[in-house]
Amino acid sequence: MIRIEKLNVHYGAAHVVKDVSLDIATGESFALVGESGSGKSTVLKALAGQVSDWSGSVEMGDVRLEPGRMNPALVRKAQMVFQDPYGSLHPRRTVDDHLDEPLQIHGIGNRDARILAMLDAVGLARKFRFRLPHQLSGGQRQRVAIARALMLEPEILLLDEPTSALDVSVQAEILNLLKGLRAERGLTFLLVTHDLPVVSFLCDRLAVLKSGQIQEIAGVDQLRHRDLKSGYGRELIQAAEGMSERA
Amino acid sequence: MALLEVENLKVRFPTERGLVEVVKGVSFSLGQERLGIVGESGSGKSMTGRALLGLIPRPGIVTADRMQFDGMDLSRLSERAFRRLRGARLSMILQDPKFSLNPVMTIGEQIGEALAFHGRLSGAERRRRVLAMLEAVRIADPERVYGLYPHEVSGGMGQRVMIAMMTVLEPDLMIADEPTSALDVSVRGQVLEILDDLVHRTGMGLIMISHDLNMVARWCDRILVMFNGRVVEECAAGKLSEATHPYTRGLLASLPRLDETRDQLPVLDRQKLGAL
Repeated sequence: MIRIEKLNVHYGAAHVVKDVSLDIATGESFALVGESGSGKSTVLKALAGQVSDWSGSVEMGDVRLEPGRMNPALVRKAQMVFQDPYGSLHPRRTVDDHLDEPLQIHGIGNRDARILAMLDAVGLARKFRFRLPHQLSGGQRQRVAIARALMLEPEILLLDEPTSALDVSVQAEILNLLKGLRAERGLTFLLVTHDLPVVSFLCDRLAVLKSGQIQEIAGVDQLRHRDLKSGYGRELIQAAEGMSERA
Repeated sequence: MALLEVENLKVRFPTERGLVEVVKGVSFSLGQERLGIVGESGSGKSMTGRALLGLIPRPGIVTADRMQFDGMDLSRLSERAFRRLRGARLSMILQDPKFSLNPVMTIGEQIGEALAFHGRLSGAERRRRVLAMLEAVRIADPERVYGLYPHEVSGGMGQRVMIAMMTVLEPDLMIADEPTSALDVSVRGQVLEILDDLVHRTGMGLIMISHDLNMVARWCDRILVMFNGRVVEECAAGKLSEATHPYTRGLLASLPRLDETRDQLPVLDRQKLGAL
């Protein structure tokens, strides 16, 4: 579903993604892990068309991306959910506005029924439909952001740290929701995170990134058994365990 | 004798619908130890920390039956007296160095400012102390970093600068409010080690406020779990897995693990907890 070959991204003189190649199957949930500055978010941005100075070949299903040109077919194929649900919703638009806009733009009918169905699907009570973002909790906002991303029925969700701004108990709700939606709709996930346990819960495979380069690609079972091969992958596991070993 | 004793601390804010109580009668005492306060957003953990330092903004109201720090009654302290205490004997590390360092002052000047305000050292002496402090927080090249501005250093280094600034006067009590949440995992350990080292070396008391149960369990001696403005559980850090309160148990269960194989994560039943 997602095929990336020799992706290179430059920000001015800085070479932030170096020869990244990935092949992600339909219905697979794939994670990019690494620390800040590893280039993991940049890969996601290139796929979402938010970065223009890249080279290499990127295909999302039957949509082929070209640097610097927004392919209109892309938005029906892939949508993105951002880290911060406080920043990713328009503060003066209601939940209904957020969900309705993509339908309007794409001339999709039956909007009312679609919005109600989507609220149900993401577990938001219908009474929230005409509320503004500030009247919602962080978890509810993230549900709105996920609902918005799904309105055009994309096949791919690009998830940029979707739960790291949320409380632990709310994170569990959103992770459950994402897992359920993927199973129901056969979605393909590309998840960017620094949180390895989240990968264990939600993903099938992961790529470890450091300084813009892939260190290794591993199955999630390898992660669960603390069996990553690259030195940096092991460091990440150690750091994650250091935080939790006594709990 | 305990360094800090708090009894029935309440923080309230007046709103259109009457007083809202965000801290609802918290009591604890602290010796020369590392105390963790954990809870989710809205639990009142940060407000508890701020109340101890007299940093609750107006029109907030802080009351306590007792708030004793080293023989002084904090609840009756004037703002002037608090200013003399803060920085010198009580200090606080905030979450994000990007927002809590002064962007137009060099790092050396910022750290030296506390020394200038609270002491009578000469300029050269201050500089020496600041450089020694930067070295103590494991900054490899203190002379260079002294002259840098906050935007010129990384997040991890910024947080170490914060710690240097807050400990240059060797306070008796440090309150660290989410000191590592804005940092990368690999830098977190380093920052925590520096704090740990200071506790051991100077006998400082540390209150670590965080949402991260595991981190607190690992780095503190004792833990208070807060929910809805109250302390619902108190236990030794190593015994967190034996916690009994349903909220604590629920939180622990809802955390994904590295060897996670559960199909769904258990979710807190807030309505049931709210009734507790």
